Amino acid sequence: MAALEYPAPIRQLIWQLKSLPGIGPRSAERLVLWLLSTGATQAPQLADALKALGSSVEMCEACGFYSECGTQCALCSDDRRQRAVVCVVEQAADVLRLERSGAFRGQYHVLGGKLSPLDNVTPEDLRIAPLLHRVRDLPAEEVILALSSDVEGEATANYIADLLRRAEIKVTRLAQGMPAGGGLDHVDEMTLFRALEGRRTI
Amino acid sequence: MERQRLDPRCLFDLMLSRIEARDFRCFEHVQAELHPETTVLRGRNAQGKTSLLEAACVLLRLQSPRTSTRTDLIRHGQASFMVEGVHGADTLRCGMSARQRRLAVNGAVMGRSGEYLKESGVVVWMDHGDMNLLRGGAEHRRRYLDFTASQTERGYLDALRTYERALRSRNYVLKRDAQINWRHADAYAQIMDKAAEVIWQARNELVDATLEPARRALEALSMGKEELGVRLVRGAEAGGLFEQLVDQREQEQRTRTTAVGPHRDDLWIGLHERDAGSFASEGQQRSLSVALKLAQARVLENRRGEAPLLLMDDVFGELDATRRQLLMENLPQGSQRVVTTTGGDWVEQQKDAIIYDVDAGSLKLVK
Repeated sequence: MAALEYPAPIRQLIWQLKSLPGIGPRSAERLVLWLLSTGATQAPQLADALKALGSSVEMCEACGFYSECGTQCALCSDDRRQRAVVCVVEQAADVLRLERSGAFRGQYHVLGGKLSPLDNVTPEDLRIAPLLHRVRDLPAEEVILALSSDVEGEATANYIADLLRRAEIKVTRLAQGMPAGGGLDHVDEMTLFRALEGRRTI
Repeated sequence: MERQRLDPRCLFDLMLSRIEARDFRCFEHVQAELHPETTVLRGRNAQGKTSLLEAACVLLRLQSPRTSTRTDLIRHGQASFMVEGVHGADTLRCGMSARQRRLAVNGAVMGRSGEYLKESGVVVWMDHGDMNLLRGGAEHRRRYLDFTASQTERGYLDALRTYERALRSRNYVLKRDAQINWRHADAYAQIMDKAAEVIWQARNELVDATLEPARRALEALSMGKEELGVRLVRGAEAGGLFEQLVDQREQEQRTRTTAVGPHRDDLWIGLHERDAGSFASEGQQRSLSVALKLAQARVLENRRGEAPLLLMDDVFGELDATRRQLLMENLPQGSQRVVTTTGGDWVEQQKDAIIYDVDAGSLKLVK
């Protein structure tokens, strides 16, 4: 006797869901069963939302952030934003994080990842060439590299900084150090070490 | 609390007073009290003596000198192992499965291995493999330096890991394309440059600190004057690594691998100014390798302010009675030792010691 299995449509959806990042076979199964029972009313809306994702969202050619098809990019079309400063980030999510801080009112540029030859991510896979064109066209005076501080992030920053220095653009990196509103007891040693290195005269 | 139930001397002596392991190598469950000075594990071959020693090393350093594959440590057919022990006043616990690691100090879970290692003690491991310090390749000598430096120098392990990761990426960039993207390679060279400074400084200081203790240990072991020398042979010229890598373009274009850097460092070991690996006799080499390990213990003690736990795997079996006696007398004062052996009269003659017989994965207290 063949082992009992879910009907094909259920298996298909479980298979689709578990290929998503952060979702394993058990979670996928639970989600599908929920969609079949309690969540049945929500399923069509979910399907519509998923379809709309592909048809009505596009990536802004200039900055790499997302916008709705047919509308201008909310970031690039905003005239109140400074044009002389460009902040380079790895992911679109980083744009929102920086934006919520309210500290930056310039242009953003999303790279779409960081250099990692061991994962086969090369300079050609990132939006580095568009960054160079954009910096020239804006024209930008300063480029801020807001990249992560692991080996891959550092290497990406070094690579871009090297390219931009040749074009005589001021390149800066985010400072590393103390979290705001916290004492020394909440800081790990490595961060404290960097914070000491990057201390400032007051 | 926990502290009050312990033997009060533990509060002052940082020693490993008890160890317990579950599903570790051949042991389903094993538990042993350890003597403040000497604990002897005696048994025939393949009974689990070394595995118990290894459990102590994993507990204190979270790594095994015998393997880097975690699953090797798990008893056949099981999913995870657990090692627990009382070190000083703290109860350390370490459990590992193929993919997970759970660490706790006094029952409080530690997320980062760094925090755990800060609470735990230092270790020196001695076994037959020590001869590789003289006869083996440079990687054995680098590992000898790294092992000490990562236990004494803050930031060393971080710098080493960063360096190795950047080196792997850079070598991959050099190999991948017919036309090397030098800018991409340089992005990693800059990271390696910074890490190399930290690594070289620590290695230099360490080699300087090792020379005297190693000389004294060798003198004591060989009962005579032997002029021992150790020097760090840097895998690059003096000066910044980045600039030197830029100068190596032609060679790297040919060999497609990073030409210079700390990954090519070596430790030169000499007797009377001649390379000990090729000129010293078998007996001299054996004494030298032991002397270097004793020096390692001394350096750890000086830097950390606590004597390391000496884990000695069948070291005595290879020595004649005189040398064994000399080695015993010259072990660092106040250090705790756990020794494995297949037997011998000397075992019963130990005064301050606990002796266990190890047989097919179980322990029997002899004395």
